[in-house]
Amino acid sequence: MQTCLEMRNICKTYSINGRTVNKNVDLTVRKGEIHALLGENGAGKTTLMNILYGIIHPDSGEIFINGKKVFIDSPLTANRSGIGMVHQHFRLIDDFTVAQNVVLGMEPRHGLFKFDNTKAEKDVLSVINKNGFKLEPNAKISDLSVGQMQQVEIVKMLYRKADLLILDEPTSVLTEHEIQNLFIRLKKLVKTGKTVIIITHKLKEVKRLSDRLTVLRSGKVVGVRNTADVDESEISRLMVGRTVALKPIKVETEIKEEALKLENVVLKKRRQERPILDNLSFKVFKGEILGIAAVAGNGLSELENLLGGMVRITSGRLLINGQDVTNEGAAVFRRAGLSYVPSDRLKRGSSIESSVRENIILTNHHRFVKKTGEIDSSAADEFSSKLIDNFNIDADPSTRTGTLSGGNIQKVILSRELEHIDGLVVFAEPTWGLDIASSEYIYKKIIEVKSEGAAVVIISSNIEEIINLSDRIIVMHSGEIVCETKNTEDIDAAVIGDYMLGLKNDFSKVTNER
Amino acid sequence: MSNTGFSFPVIHDAIDIMTPFLLAGIGGLVTELSGMLNIALEGLILLGAFFSVIFASITGSLFLGLLFGVITTMFIAFIFGAITIYLKANEFITAIAVNLLATGLTAVISFHFFGTKGNLVFDNFARLPVFDLPALDSIPIIGDIFLGHNIIVYAGWLLVFVFWFVLYKTPYGLRLRGVGLNFKAMSALGLNPKKYRLEAIVISGFTCALAGASLSLNIGAYVPNISSGRGWIALVVIYLGGRTPLGILIASFIFALAESFSNYAQGFINIPADFILAFPYIITVVALVLVSAIKKRQQKIS
Repeated sequence: MQTCLEMRNICKTYSINGRTVNKNVDLTVRKGEIHALLGENGAGKTTLMNILYGIIHPDSGEIFINGKKVFIDSPLTANRSGIGMVHQHFRLIDDFTVAQNVVLGMEPRHGLFKFDNTKAEKDVLSVINKNGFKLEPNAKISDLSVGQMQQVEIVKMLYRKADLLILDEPTSVLTEHEIQNLFIRLKKLVKTGKTVIIITHKLKEVKRLSDRLTVLRSGKVVGVRNTADVDESEISRLMVGRTVALKPIKVETEIKEEALKLENVVLKKRRQERPILDNLSFKVFKGEILGIAAVAGNGLSELENLLGGMVRITSGRLLINGQDVTNEGAAVFRRAGLSYVPSDRLKRGSSIESSVRENIILTNHHRFVKKTGEIDSSAADEFSSKLIDNFNIDADPSTRTGTLSGGNIQKVILSRELEHIDGLVVFAEPTWGLDIASSEYIYKKIIEVKSEGAAVVIISSNIEEIINLSDRIIVMHSGEIVCETKNTEDIDAAVIGDYMLGLKNDFSKVTNER
Repeated sequence: MSNTGFSFPVIHDAIDIMTPFLLAGIGGLVTELSGMLNIALEGLILLGAFFSVIFASITGSLFLGLLFGVITTMFIAFIFGAITIYLKANEFITAIAVNLLATGLTAVISFHFFGTKGNLVFDNFARLPVFDLPALDSIPIIGDIFLGHNIIVYAGWLLVFVFWFVLYKTPYGLRLRGVGLNFKAMSALGLNPKKYRLEAIVISGFTCALAGASLSLNIGAYVPNISSGRGWIALVVIYLGGRTPLGILIASFIFALAESFSNYAQGFINIPADFILAFPYIITVVALVLVSAIKKRQQKIS
């Protein structure tokens, strides 16, 4: 098969911190294949692709497109060489239409000066139809779903005549259904002669989608394989550098008294008829893990806010360890026994401008106040050093938290929240955006918390995680509980997926009333 | 300036008074849409007023004075923009610097070359020519409201249309608005968003210089603080006008009408002058409250 892209001996060291992110990296991609670029966070895969797309300039190395050497110094020259990139966080202008976003920078003109919106919509529609996408060129971006926005990003690159498409973590924001559609479209694209590079660390998707794969670890290529020749455990071994347990080992724990109880909880926004949380009732007992799954936008984040004590409910009751704490707020929730690991690590979970020490003592700071009113820094140091050791955090007490990797920030939060457990721990999206090694660690900790006798709630949009960890599963759709089931060996992710999409509902109001 | 020969003198004056608001407003709109709050409008107006009158007196030509005045102001705006955008200085601090520089620099130059920090009056060049647009003449009754204004007044109306066209009908405008709405999206396309922001600031320098020139060249003199807060009102006008050229046109007319009215009212209404002079500012507050109330209501409906 013909070679489409060859990157030779790419090296990149950041001058700010002297960290080498790409060491003599070679990457060869054949024409018409889907090539997966794999690696843990910080392995250098995004850097490599940013070099290819002209966003980052390499220290040394050469790039060949279809055998011809090219110099790429900006996204514009990359586009001219037929390379297009879809970033993980979409780069779209919400107030503009689909067509306007697509043509931006290469606008069709009417006469010398005038922007020809009609022709833009026509041209974009023809790209959309030719490649089997489903989009209205005159729709506003702000009215689209996340999956549709991603389509716009791909169409944007196809409009620029990209033959080689780079997709950075394309599935991290998509629902299962959208992922399937994306994969079908990508497979169609390569059939028409396009080439696709997909950056990811999700092994299942690599197996499902790619033809070949290249694995990076600490900035170096550690393996190039045909996807058909390797299994998931080998890929993960290449990525992490050691054997990892992809599935956490479940532990049976004795179920004890109830730690959290929701009674007919309703949450309405002001002036809104339809509740965001609709009559939720459930209990969680000490010694079990309850997994709550839903597609984003179906009340999951509101439920997180509710359990974290951040919102007031319209009606209903909430009890922690038997104590009625309805609408009492986060401080009372915590005093009643709540530990909470939020989904937004950077805004809610930690203060990224503060040191690791300050973040660790946050909820316990009163323990470190001297009689004079100042913080006893040596005691705080000792305390945080102990936790840094216990949780294998790669940092000093004085390190600024924002400079840590996502996995280490999450460990800082875990160390604070799990240092003292009083019966109930709520984890929200505990491994979102984390790599395999960090996720494995978090899963181990969650199982540990449960086996030590606490009640655990996991709120997550990741079905796999829910199924692998939970003893019981609740599925929510548009603010309602649509499924509550024991998690047995034969449970099917596809069935849970159907509940998440609202295709199935065990508590349909119609049947209940009859 | 009272034009008692016109059928609606209050409105006729308002058309003159609105010009600096309008010009500074549409220039500020361009920076606003490119994603920056330009609080240097006031200083840029002052610089435009000063330099155009100085250069007019040096060259003895109204046209050259206007030309060099505008170029100098645009150059200062360029430096302000380059420091803000490429050296990543805080846009508020640099804009405050421009405002302070404007008062300081004009006083220093004025003292050094003309020996006074006070008023500078010149008579070696002509005043801004006054035009009667024949097309507007034929509008019955209110037609003469649009007659007998100076050339910059008409230029202002033309510029509103030009800016509307450029901002909403050209690829350049699409990109400039794109920069304001999502800076990262534009850099991901390799479209150099910083360039658009710098250009927006220079454009605001251009319109503010015209606004300033319309004040000073009209009377052939420079008076310290001749801009007297018009740049700040222009900022209000941008938001009141819903960040559109047409809205800015209407909003600046309302302000000008309030000011023109209070000029006239001093003559025949028996209220303390302070109160009457405060009228435009009362209008500001009322208008801001109204607009935010209307917006809230619209949000409720949607």
